[in-house]
Amino acid sequence: MKNILLLSKDHQKHIFVMMLMVLNVMIITPVFAQDIKISGVVNSEDNEPLPGVTIIVQGTTAGTVTDINGNYVLEVPTDAILDFSFIGYLKQSIGVNGRTTIDLTMEPDIEQLDEVVVIGYGTQKKSHLTGAISKVDNKNIDQIPTSRADQAMVGRVAGMNVQNSNPEGVGGAPTIQIRGVGSITGGSGPLLVIDGVAVDSEFWTNIDMNDVASIEVLKDAASAAIFGSRGANGVVMITTKTGESGKTKFAYNGFYGWQDVQNNPDYNTSVADGMAAERAANGELSPRSRYKELIGVDNNWQDIIFDGGNTQSHTISARGGNESTTFSTAMTYAHDEGVLLTDDFKKYNLKAKIDTKVNDDLSFGVSLNPSYTERRRFDGSTHDILRQTPWLPVYHDENTIQYVDRTVYPDVEVGDYALQRHFDNYDLDGDGTLIDISNTSNTNPAAKVLERDRRDFQFKLFGKFYTKYKLSDNFSIQAALSGDLQNTERQRWQGVESSRNGASGASLAVNNENKVHVVTQGFLNYNQTFGSHEFSATTGVVAERYKEKYSNVSGTGYEFDFVPTLDAAAEASAWGSFEREKRLLSFIARVNYSFSDKYLASISFRRDGSSVFGPDNKYGNFPAVSVGWRISEESFLAGSSVINNLKLRASFGITGNDQISTGNRLNDWYSPTALLSSRTAVVGGSTATAFNPQNIANPELGWERSIEFNPAIDFGFLDNIISGSVDYYKRTSDDLLLNVDVSGVTGFNNALVNIGEVTNEGVEIELRTNNIRTKKFRWTTTFLASRNKNTLTDFANSDGLIQSVDEKRAAEWISSVGHPISSFYGYVVDSEIPLEYLNDAYHPIGGQAQDVYVRDLNGDGVIDDGDKTILGSPYPDFIWSVTNTFTLGDFDLSFMFQGSHGAEVRNMGDQYLYNHFNSSQDFDPAITPDQEFIREKIFTNSIVQDASYIALRNLNLGYNFPSRLTSKIGMTSARLYVSGSNLMYIKGDNYTGFNPESLTTTSPTTYGYQRAGAPIARSIVTGVIIEF
Amino acid sequence: MIINKKENIMKNIRIIALFIFAMHLYGCQDDFLSPAPNSAISADAFYTNDIELEAGVVNLYDGIQGINSTVTSDLHGIQIEYQVTEMRSDNTRTKSGEGEAAQFESYTVEATNGVVADYYASFYNIIFRANTILANLENASESKAAQFEGEAKFVRAYAYFNLVRLFGDIPLATEVIAPTDEVTAFTRVATSKVYELIVSDFNTAIDNLDNSYKNRASKAAAQGLLAKVHLTIGNYTIAQELLEEIITSNEFSLETNFKDIFYSEGNDETIFAIGYAADNSNDSQNFSAEWLNSVGRSSGLNYVTSDVRAAFATYGGTMRSEYSFRLDAAQTTQYQVVKYLPNGDEVLGIDPTSGDPTLAGNDWIILRYSDVLLMHVEAILAGRDGPITNSDALASFQAVRNRAGLTTLVASISKQDLADERRVELAFENHRLFDLIRLGLAESVLGAFATANGFSFTANDLLLPIPQREINLSKGALSQNPGYN
Repeated sequence: MKNILLLSKDHQKHIFVMMLMVLNVMIITPVFAQDIKISGVVNSEDNEPLPGVTIIVQGTTAGTVTDINGNYVLEVPTDAILDFSFIGYLKQSIGVNGRTTIDLTMEPDIEQLDEVVVIGYGTQKKSHLTGAISKVDNKNIDQIPTSRADQAMVGRVAGMNVQNSNPEGVGGAPTIQIRGVGSITGGSGPLLVIDGVAVDSEFWTNIDMNDVASIEVLKDAASAAIFGSRGANGVVMITTKTGESGKTKFAYNGFYGWQDVQNNPDYNTSVADGMAAERAANGELSPRSRYKELIGVDNNWQDIIFDGGNTQSHTISARGGNESTTFSTAMTYAHDEGVLLTDDFKKYNLKAKIDTKVNDDLSFGVSLNPSYTERRRFDGSTHDILRQTPWLPVYHDENTIQYVDRTVYPDVEVGDYALQRHFDNYDLDGDGTLIDISNTSNTNPAAKVLERDRRDFQFKLFGKFYTKYKLSDNFSIQAALSGDLQNTERQRWQGVESSRNGASGASLAVNNENKVHVVTQGFLNYNQTFGSHEFSATTGVVAERYKEKYSNVSGTGYEFDFVPTLDAAAEASAWGSFEREKRLLSFIARVNYSFSDKYLASISFRRDGSSVFGPDNKYGNFPAVSVGWRISEESFLAGSSVINNLKLRASFGITGNDQISTGNRLNDWYSPTALLSSRTAVVGGSTATAFNPQNIANPELGWERSIEFNPAIDFGFLDNIISGSVDYYKRTSDDLLLNVDVSGVTGFNNALVNIGEVTNEGVEIELRTNNIRTKKFRWTTTFLASRNKNTLTDFANSDGLIQSVDEKRAAEWISSVGHPISSFYGYVVDSEIPLEYLNDAYHPIGGQAQDVYVRDLNGDGVIDDGDKTILGSPYPDFIWSVTNTFTLGDFDLSFMFQGSHGAEVRNMGDQYLYNHFNSSQDFDPAITPDQEFIREKIFTNSIVQDASYIALRNLNLGYNFPSRLTSKIGMTSARLYVSGSNLMYIKGDNYTGFNPESLTTTSPTTYGYQRAGAPIARSIVTGVIIEF
Repeated sequence: MIINKKENIMKNIRIIALFIFAMHLYGCQDDFLSPAPNSAISADAFYTNDIELEAGVVNLYDGIQGINSTVTSDLHGIQIEYQVTEMRSDNTRTKSGEGEAAQFESYTVEATNGVVADYYASFYNIIFRANTILANLENASESKAAQFEGEAKFVRAYAYFNLVRLFGDIPLATEVIAPTDEVTAFTRVATSKVYELIVSDFNTAIDNLDNSYKNRASKAAAQGLLAKVHLTIGNYTIAQELLEEIITSNEFSLETNFKDIFYSEGNDETIFAIGYAADNSNDSQNFSAEWLNSVGRSSGLNYVTSDVRAAFATYGGTMRSEYSFRLDAAQTTQYQVVKYLPNGDEVLGIDPTSGDPTLAGNDWIILRYSDVLLMHVEAILAGRDGPITNSDALASFQAVRNRAGLTTLVASISKQDLADERRVELAFENHRLFDLIRLGLAESVLGAFATANGFSFTANDLLLPIPQREINLSKGALSQNPGYN
């Protein structure tokens, strides 16, 4: 029975067994009362249609929500009782009694919050929740101009930190953390679950916000434990829209707009300013400076590289169906030109979902979501491109060509890219003295970007087939087969003019990645109500298989730029391929219980087996328990006009982590074993095969574990004028998976181990207020805030571990018990070296000394390791957002301010953009005093900078055409809106880079490293939503 | 009603039983959670026969060859050796005096220097590869065991010889060690102990190997390197015997044309060289490109000092000067090394070795016959200042001079004569620093060189710092070399 879950003979046999089971149960199950279709309109007390009203069949979790016109359609048993509920309105229970139409007017009252919330492998009434689950309101999120759905999540959930960290322009993934960093393996982002199936985080780009019904974020371990091994960093669950029976509804949502960036004055240099500073200090210009002025060019490279761009998105959807079958289809095209030179992102997305009921008991459905994206990256990094000098033109013109050093560059013509070296060896004063002004041999910065073409072509497919069978009143069975597939081709073309080496530097690299993830799952659900006792239980098995194949080929030897194909290459210079496989097998059980709707409890258990661990540690157990008490349901509070909702809840759970990220993707999935990879060496004049050990085996390797305790209070006061929740949590993660630094004497620099313990402790507040609520004018405010403290509480032998990211720029991080997982480490700046001691303080323009005087902290008269100290923390301790929404008649306005405080970044950008490398900026050893107190700035707090920010994240102004107008042209609704992102962005005072959120991907023990970053796009779009 | 309820319960039990049965089907798949890797071999079941051990032995040379990349965390092996040797001598420097590489020429090497850490880790990785072979020798057939042992010990001795000369007292791993073995990793063993292992390993290699290869360990390579070890620790008589065995074997000879040593690979002068293949990122090297003007990642490393050009003018002769360095066409105040050019030189009649200079195919010579001849002179000189007139020494010395076109008969040889001759004959082949130290000239020569160039030099600069990374990991157990903090 090997490989039972593959689509092999064994698998077929397995499916056969399952089918037999289903058939067997069908035979023994009696037929239940016939369902009828019921529809109606729900209005508010002032007879306005009420969208979003939840309608639940009592005693089940089945139900629906009214549409924008207050309409609903639902299939229910003839004797069903329907619960109608909506925030701010009294819940009403209506017996169907065979009727097919029930219209209803809701009466305002605020006692009920009976929304349905999606939880792991199921749903639950919001009022019965005992864990920390935040539901994100999709109101207007589909109007935010971001290229990816995850970027729109900024500021939506207390405790969820979304950073626009990607340095390669539009389409890049942000960094997401929920309740701080508990894992140190590199995989600290939350698990993404689409329609109940865990998928790769790449599928954020498959999500079309227009197609999202709800987003739930599972924050505490008790809620996430049902996802066991992958729950430790939280879970984001996205549920897509399902069709409703009735008239087919079409909708179009499209926006078009423009974006740019704010220039960063800290990194602006100009010939004019440079000359002015030198004149002011010295009274005259050096010959070099006079020459720079003479060339007559004063470029701001930021203006050239940050070129802005348009952004647009168009979605068409059709949803509908009949009594037995519903469908939901949508198509999206989006094109975001990014704000950097050359970056570009195109997305084509398709979605089709069909759900059908064969009879009262059997239903099945299928959902397919293919998407194709084409991303052109900004191939380079701002730190590298923008460090060039303002006197350099992009192309030579009639003026600049006259300065070219014809001895070395006889062939340069007008219109060619200008290189700094072209301007060397110039006889400025006609006296035979040749002047050099170049400070780099690099090619023109614009050429570096424009002559390279780096694209990712990605095809992704998410598919799910499920069947549900109702076995009895209490039992139902559900089986699903789902899969996600990613096919990515990455091409990197470096043209003949892209580097200083000309044709010999031209190359094409082609990488292919093929990832398949297949999930089979079967669940048995049980629901029972005995008097005031309400039970629901779920048990199931999930088996998952990940298979990934990688290959790459590079070609060199291009004489021309005309055909950037592998065929045009003279040589294949690099090639390789490998595949890897990982499997997970999970057993799941959960019981939810409520008594009288007042006393709530939930117990769950998951046992996960993962192939990535050693033979004795493959399985991990992840139990969770949570309880709740709805005090507001007690008789002593019933009818209180002050307190309309009050719930205490507490949860405890254990989650795990099997994400290993050592930088070697092959080893990551086979870490318990030492692997030998194939190599070659040249011996005896030809290449011979060698096998090289890749890693140090750790057969003991096992699960990383997180234990979390989360007491909380949910409240609603004064008819829900004020409502919200406060959560306290403490998560302790131990047996952390760390690719720890080891002595090179072992033959390796790293070894993968389970080590240490880290805690994240914090408080989250969600506060929603209905400030003004009149018939014509409404004002609501949502305030979300979270505080998190990350502490390394045990690090065994590695306590005090000092690491660096880049051996060439070995700035240090320390992992020290009592402090966060990683802290910036180094010397403290005492003072700058006075300019008169530098070799040439005014060359290159904008240059700064790479060295600085540091403090003798321990006062022993020498600077050594004893003078290093912790310089800051890369983790924010306070993040918040405030969203205000105003509705005035047909107009509405909402805007969100969002901020992050307490984190620092190590901005290596300073070293590049201030030309620290240049020897002109070195101190003169002959005259500089106290040289023993001088250290390089990169080893000090000089480049440890405040990463705090406050942003006007988004703003949305909309006008909804009145229905009397839209109905005349056959529309059910129409909305016109203007939406903006990051229209205001305030950075910390001492931060010099482009984006305090930017992060270079490093290990969590060397977190917070950036090289100036890619700037945050500021965008404004206008859009329209039409439904008909 | 009662019957109904009972039926219902029975049915529910049946449902649960079926489901448990189904779950059981999933659970019984033990090997489901143990997929075998298809793209690599598990080391547990490797090195079991000659073929597998042979692949492990080839891997030794892959380690010395190093990875051709600009990724700082990769182990670059011998490809970065010129920075920690030649650029610390009076022969070469960076072109621009900028960046981390400039720490070497200015004797301001920091313990955080990435190249030093790279070299240290690379050579201990080579030692690990050798120890892996030695640990599995019992699986070799009788006919191959001696060869595998000889090659592994040769490579291990070679790696330790470089490490001990660069770092002084060093950790000594004589078998594969686990990360938990911090005693071995963080205990510095006296150089004399390290040399004991080196001598013993090279002797095993001499006993077990023949001269079948130039890109792999051979008897002559072991003899030559062991002779250099003995010259370093003052055993001149043993050194002389070893060198004379190579000379009298008549298996090696000087190339007539100095250029052909470097551009006619596999020639008779080469005793041991690390092989590279062009335009192939797995087996090429990039140091050749780094030595040019902004062709590699740097703006130009291992540029020729005026000091060594003066030495060439005095002692080198035309042919050696011509094929050792040239004017930088892009910056006509600077000079580049001509040995190991990746993209050729039309004037000198040197063809490119690769299409992409950063994927160069030039082999790196570790030992060649003229080195053996000059070591022979050194052994006879036996630590004296000279001059000596020993005819064997004169014969070896004259042979090297004759090939360079300097046929005037030499009547006597002093230590200084030998140092000067070695400098111009073996310039830019990573010998100069070790020669100066071995001949006891380092402090005076490099001190004067540093002063002339505005640098500050002390005897402490003759050893590299133990990488800060290792000091940090040892939490102070590893002591630093004097003069570094």
